[in-house]
Parts: sequence; C-alpha cells; structure tokens
Amino acid sequence: MANVIGKSIVIDGEISGDEDLVVQGTVKGKIMLKESLLVESSGTVEADIQTQNVEISGAVTGDIQAFSKVEIKSDGRVVGNIKAPRILIADGAKFKGNVDMDR
Amino acid sequence: MADTNTIVGQTILIKGNLQGDEDLTVQGRIEGSVHLSKTLIVEPTGVVKAEVSVCNAIISGIMVGNVNATESVELAETGRMIGDIRAPRVIITEGARFKGQVDMGDVASNRESPVRAVVAKPARFEPARKASATAARPTPVPARPAPARAEPKPEPHIEKKELVDEEGASKKKIVVRKRR
Repeated sequence: MANVIGKSIVIDGEISGDEDLVVQGTVKGKIMLKESLLVESSGTVEADIQTQNVEISGAVTGDIQAFSKVEIKSDGRVVGNIKAPRILIADGAKFKGNVDMDR
Repeated sequence: MADTNTIVGQTILIKGNLQGDEDLTVQGRIEGSVHLSKTLIVEPTGVVKAEVSVCNAIISGIMVGNVNATESVELAETGRMIGDIRAPRVIITEGARFKGQVDMGDVASNRESPVRAVVAKPARFEPARKASATAARPTPVPARPAPARAEPKPEPHIEKKELVDEEGASKKKIVVRKRR
C-alpha cells in the first residue's frame, strides 16, 4: 500500500503511477502520479512533478503541477513554478518561483 | 542502520536508474538499472526490466535482464526470469522459469568457501590454509598468492621450450602460466 522511496535510494529517471508516493530519498527526473506525492524532510526531488496533490517537507527543485493542491510545509524548500488550483505555503517554508492558481 | 524498506507499489512505474543502500521491494515496474548494497525483492506482481547489481536478489515476479549479486540470487517458485545470473549462490526453486546463463564463479571451491573463508580469517589458521590453499581457494584474495608460488615451477618448462625455439619462448611462458 504505502509506496516509499527510502532515505538511501537515488532514482534518476521517471516515476509514474496511480497511487500515493512518499519520497524520503532522492528522485531526479520526472514524477507523474494520479494520487498524492509526499516529500518528507529527508527527501530531495529534482524533478518536474505532475500529480493530484503534493505535500512538501523536504527540498524540491522543478516545476510542480497539481490538479488539486500543493502544500509547502514549514520545513519545505521549493525552487520552481507551481501550478495548482489550491496552493498553501506555511510559515517558515522557502519558495522561489511563480505561482499560478488559474484553472 | 536503515530500517526503512523502500517499496515500489503495484501501479508504480520507474524508468531510469535506481541506486541505494537499503532493501527494495518491487510490486510494480522498474525499467533501467538497479544498484543496491542490500536486497532486491521482486514480488509476484513485480516486473523488473533492468541491469541489476545487488547483494541479494529474491525474485518471485518477472525479471528481464542480467542480475549480478555479490551474495545470492533466489528464483522463487512464482519467479520468471530471462537473463544471466552471476552470483556465488544461486537458488532456483521448483516451479520457477528461467532462461539464461548462470555463473557461480569458481565452481570447484565455492561450495566450501563462503563459510570457511569467513571462519578461517583469523591469523592462527594462516599456515594451515597455505598448506591446503589449492583445495580451499575461498575468495579471490587468497587466489592471488597462487601464481607467485607457481612461478618457481614454470622455470624448468621454460628452459625446455627455449631449447626448442627461442622465438616462441616468450609466448610459451604465458601459456605455461595459464595452464597453472
């Protein structure tokens, strides 16, 4: 059920799927999911992301496109453009890029 | 150290290179390459089309590609594999399907080696091991002294060959060593 990319794992390429994904390690390339992506505080994503929801406590470099929600938690760091109908940036989060909340 | 276990779920497809220092369970699909210092587990729903180098591999699903394991490769009864296996221990369970080559390294010595090599490492046993070095050639490391010990022996052979013809002498030296 739980899809976890563990701390010591480095993926260089493309991940796609229909279920939730938790990233504790490193992913470079592209992530396309029909469900939620959760980047934990130990996680590093250098990839373009296309998912339903994104929740970021770690570091993300790349463009994010979510069909419902992007949430950058207080320890999250994001560099890239975000496109989603709902975008939440918590106090303490670091973000550099464009925000597009158009439908 | 890393008690987390990475799981690639049933609907997940990873294309590219994957590397890490923890166990990886594949229920979905991986295409590309996998390098792990721990165990790769391909579950019955899992499909791996990749060059794999790991410590251990347990394959209950589909594996297409070459598997290089430093310890063991186990093909479980639901496992299907096309590709070559290189590992000191290879287990193919009844029911498994496999097409490819198996290379277990030095076949003559490997049966005894993994256990004895570890046990025999303390220095006290060294003299005994040298005596029986040819019988229990456990790891590549003890195998290296063998050519050095063999060097004095080829000398008489080389002398004979030099008598036969001088030109071929250098080539024949190599041939002699290879035979040893």
